Amino acid sequence: MALKLTDGIKDKFYFVCGMSLPVKTAKRLEALGMISGTKIYMLNKKKSALVVVFRGTRFALGKAIAQNIEVDDIKSNNTAENKSGGYI
Amino acid sequence: MTIGFIGNPNCGKTTLFNAYTGAHLKVANWPGVTVEKKEGAMKYHNETYKLVDLPGTYSLTSYTMEEIVTRNYILSGEVDVLINVVDASSLERNLYLTLQLIELGKPVVVALNMMDIVEKRGMEIDLHRLPEMLGIPVIPVSAIKRTGIDILIHAASHHAKTSQSHHFEMAHVSADISKHREFPFVYSREIENKIAVISKELGQKYPDIKNYRWYAIKLLEKDEELTKYHSVSEELINRSYETDIINQKYEFIETVIEEILVNKEKSKAFTDKIDTALTNKFTGLPIFLLIMGFIFFLTFLIGGWLKGYFEIIIENFSGFIDSGLTALKINEMVHSLIIDGIIAGVGGILTFLPNIFILFLALAFLEDSGYMSRVAYVMDGIMGKAGLSGKAFIPMLLGFGCSVPAVMAARSLESMKDRLRVMLVIPFMSCSAKLPIYVLFAGMFFPDNPALVAFSMYIIGLAAGLLSALIIHRFDKTKEENMLLIELPEYKSPSARTIFIYVWDKIKDYLSRAGTVIFAASVIVWIVMNFGFSGYTKDISESFGAVLGKYLMPVLAPAGLGFWQAGVALIAGFAAKEIVVASFAILFGIAGVMSESGMNLLAAELGNIGFGPLNAYCLMLFALLYPPCVAALGAIKRESGSWKRLGLIMVFQIGVAWTVSFAVYQIGRLF
Repeated sequence: MALKLTDGIKDKFYFVCGMSLPVKTAKRLEALGMISGTKIYMLNKKKSALVVVFRGTRFALGKAIAQNIEVDDIKSNNTAENKSGGYI
Repeated sequence: MTIGFIGNPNCGKTTLFNAYTGAHLKVANWPGVTVEKKEGAMKYHNETYKLVDLPGTYSLTSYTMEEIVTRNYILSGEVDVLINVVDASSLERNLYLTLQLIELGKPVVVALNMMDIVEKRGMEIDLHRLPEMLGIPVIPVSAIKRTGIDILIHAASHHAKTSQSHHFEMAHVSADISKHREFPFVYSREIENKIAVISKELGQKYPDIKNYRWYAIKLLEKDEELTKYHSVSEELINRSYETDIINQKYEFIETVIEEILVNKEKSKAFTDKIDTALTNKFTGLPIFLLIMGFIFFLTFLIGGWLKGYFEIIIENFSGFIDSGLTALKINEMVHSLIIDGIIAGVGGILTFLPNIFILFLALAFLEDSGYMSRVAYVMDGIMGKAGLSGKAFIPMLLGFGCSVPAVMAARSLESMKDRLRVMLVIPFMSCSAKLPIYVLFAGMFFPDNPALVAFSMYIIGLAAGLLSALIIHRFDKTKEENMLLIELPEYKSPSARTIFIYVWDKIKDYLSRAGTVIFAASVIVWIVMNFGFSGYTKDISESFGAVLGKYLMPVLAPAGLGFWQAGVALIAGFAAKEIVVASFAILFGIAGVMSESGMNLLAAELGNIGFGPLNAYCLMLFALLYPPCVAALGAIKRESGSWKRLGLIMVFQIGVAWTVSFAVYQIGRLF
């Protein structure tokens, strides 16, 4: 079931399902490799921001971005297993 | 031949550029250090190469200024070959830009940097398969250890001369999608067909274009910049294919990674183990404050101890010159100019060299270790209340060193509004030039707790900056949500060479300022203090300085600065903040103002005119908050692009300086 990235739990893996962000931010994230199906790892989390790892790189994302990224629990999604990211 | 260095932020481009050119451009371990393109030259096998270091960019779309600038520069034809510096430890993300560069049609050579991190993680990269899959040369290098750099320049030179642009010539464009022989990767049948048809139309409409494929891809992406000047029949592009193109590029990159990366890491990297504490929601902020407190301790206490030795040297030097001038019976006016003007002014400033050295050494460690980006994350919550992202704290933190690079670093912020707000508050940070003011006045008037008083200036400056940003945010009708998005690089042991270059650059700058601006200002202050309407005078109260200072007295008096000497020193401080100290030394003719005896003498002289601890504190506050030196003002003018904005920023800062000093003075008088 899809959830907001801000609702994710520290030290867990997720798959990106989609995002609804301003074009510039969305395109920047896509250029960094955050596309549908990308596996991301929640490294750290606090109220205003969180640290995620995808495609081998750590990024700090503010709440305004993270709450507009939809992710899927890794157990409920078996279709994107080959998408790399985080620590596979 | 012109070689352009391009790559993601923080991939080691500038380190490589420095290695080739012998330049000492600043490098650090956080994204966005290089904010403008830099040029240099080198000779290799009797041929001269012009090298261009471009600002880091993640892609070549047209969503940010650095992307447009970089892309246009490459397309302008000034570059013959591109060296794409790639961080091997983040290969997957870095290859996205590589694919875009290949599509641009310029000869590209990949410099595979940071291979040591890859090895440390227990990974290996198949260096035979990678160039095969990309269709361009790939050279492993270490920018820091300077290995592989000869081979890289050789490959770039060779590739520029022999690379053929046959990939992109019109004659080869067809609707046939079996293009694996021509291009390192191809898109889906639908997109390749569209590229072929659009390319044909572009060929008829714009015969001067050299790389139709790239233009066709950009049109399919509905690139904002490109569509302004190029178009094809509307029915050919029924929607934006940008997301499809990005997805397909990453699909190819995933295939590449799968084939060339052996033993992909399975466990958390060392960096992540450290980050569990440094970016933890409970421990992150206290650790940051502890680090800042430690830097302050080193700067003041250890630096102060070393400063004592410098004072002895300056005192002895002053005494030696004084006796020499007396023995030579040099004219009294010249004697006074040298001892009370130049040595008192410049010498007083030179004694702070140890403090400055330690401060910049600590900042260099912070910048080169990789911690700087973490500060953006740690401070995001607090900055968010002021309507800024945590990223805005990086320029503010750099402001503790010097306002000029701090103002330049504000370029890394996406919106102009955020940049302006950060430029407005950077001067509130206690830059290294304000340090001498705190050391002198806290030492003279608060001998029991000088470090605590000086530390309060750092806290007040930070609070004034955050509060100003918060107030502006409250009144801002067009509120935008702040989008923190910053890469957190791998931690690394700071490089001795990088630290040396960084600190030496700052020390050189400090010494050159002492020898130029401070020297000249010392002479001018001496002239203003020793000449009046009746010519040379020994009575300082008849000098031009006294007349000027007396005009300022009514304005400054409610803020606890109703002394003409303070007015003169603060005006002189516009040239450089250290000159506030130099001015006091010259005003009272004290050569070794930073020595214990010099401080006692100056404190007694100031006491005679009624200048006490409360006035000293107000002076420190005013010096902390009023507009920065001319160099920083120049940087603000350049970056804000308007005299009007600069004027408003200055008026705001003078207003804040006066209001805060006024409040402290008036409240302080009640006790």
